[in-house]
Amino acid sequence: MDAAAAKELGKLLGAGLSMGLGAVGPGIGLGIMIGKALESIARQPEVAGDVRTNMFIGIGVTEAVALYAFVVALILIFVA
Amino acid sequence: MKHPWRWIIGLLVIGFLIALAIIPGGKKVEFEVAGEFNREVLLKLPTIGPFDMSVTKTVVYLWISVAVIFVFAMIVARSLKVHPGRFQYAMETLYELARDGVVGSVMKSGKKQWFPYIGGVFVFVLTCNLIGLIPLPFGEGHQPAYYAATANLNVTLMLALFTFVFTHYAGIRKNGALRYVKAWAPSGAPPVLKQVIWGIHVVSEFFRLISLSVRLFANMVAGHAILAVFFAMALIFQSYLVGLALQGASVLIYMFELFVAFIQAFIFAILSAVYIGGALDQDH
Repeated sequence: MDAAAAKELGKLLGAGLSMGLGAVGPGIGLGIMIGKALESIARQPEVAGDVRTNMFIGIGVTEAVALYAFVVALILIFVA
Repeated sequence: MKHPWRWIIGLLVIGFLIALAIIPGGKKVEFEVAGEFNREVLLKLPTIGPFDMSVTKTVVYLWISVAVIFVFAMIVARSLKVHPGRFQYAMETLYELARDGVVGSVMKSGKKQWFPYIGGVFVFVLTCNLIGLIPLPFGEGHQPAYYAATANLNVTLMLALFTFVFTHYAGIRKNGALRYVKAWAPSGAPPVLKQVIWGIHVVSEFFRLISLSVRLFANMVAGHAILAVFFAMALIFQSYLVGLALQGASVLIYMFELFVAFIQAFIFAILSAVYIGGALDQDH
């Protein structure tokens, strides 16, 4: 396999692994966080609005980590 | 047998689906997801210093967002009534969401002062995201195509830079430069650990800038790429059956992208409010 084909193989493999493995952590984190938000809403329905607002902030920050992996995959495929 | 009509209709439907699966999938058409994010120059203007002032698709979409916000605001502000009609009620709901939900629930001091910026950034990002879900004739050969102005790292980086500059400006103006920077190290910490924590805080301040811009950018790009793939599933698989079966899934993904557009605008605004509020009252 020559250098250009090996580089192409490396790029595509790296992109796939980056997005695939990079979505494991945020997926687990989102599940834990939303579960805890549901538990606290079930315990005390009066604070549902506040809990929901803070849960959305948490979802935004956690999903950003999965999107860093996506950006790394994009960089691997399209740039270098 | 009872109800022969049901059997006949059932067999006809199954036969139709099998025929769809068997028929060769039409002309071979190349489809490329990344073609949506091409930024070719529409109107070449001169370069002023290091900035190329040419007009591209992103610039036109930004102008469209500004025009839409301006027109909506003028329509509602010209005829304000005490008993609001439907349009005024919708605009008031948006205003109250920005004022109470975003600024009021997160910032403790400086609410009135920073509400114009945070409300403005919320409405602007929301409008840009939503216009990205309307097909406008900017495709090749003036075909309808989807594109969001915020699906461009330059645009989101500028918005995040506004928040970054305003955060430090607010903190320095309130506390003085030296006290503001000193407060990044917690007061009750041992001497060497204090400097390390201060260094980590400096890095995290810069990381906030990157994360704010990349979050919005990557959400919009990923959303549009998924939309493009789902809408063109029939072309990718070269089969009519797949295209028919995925019409419903395309609608569901579109609805999810609508939800993501709202959520990302809300998150950008509320994180800006958290950062500015955190810089204003540093020891909470």
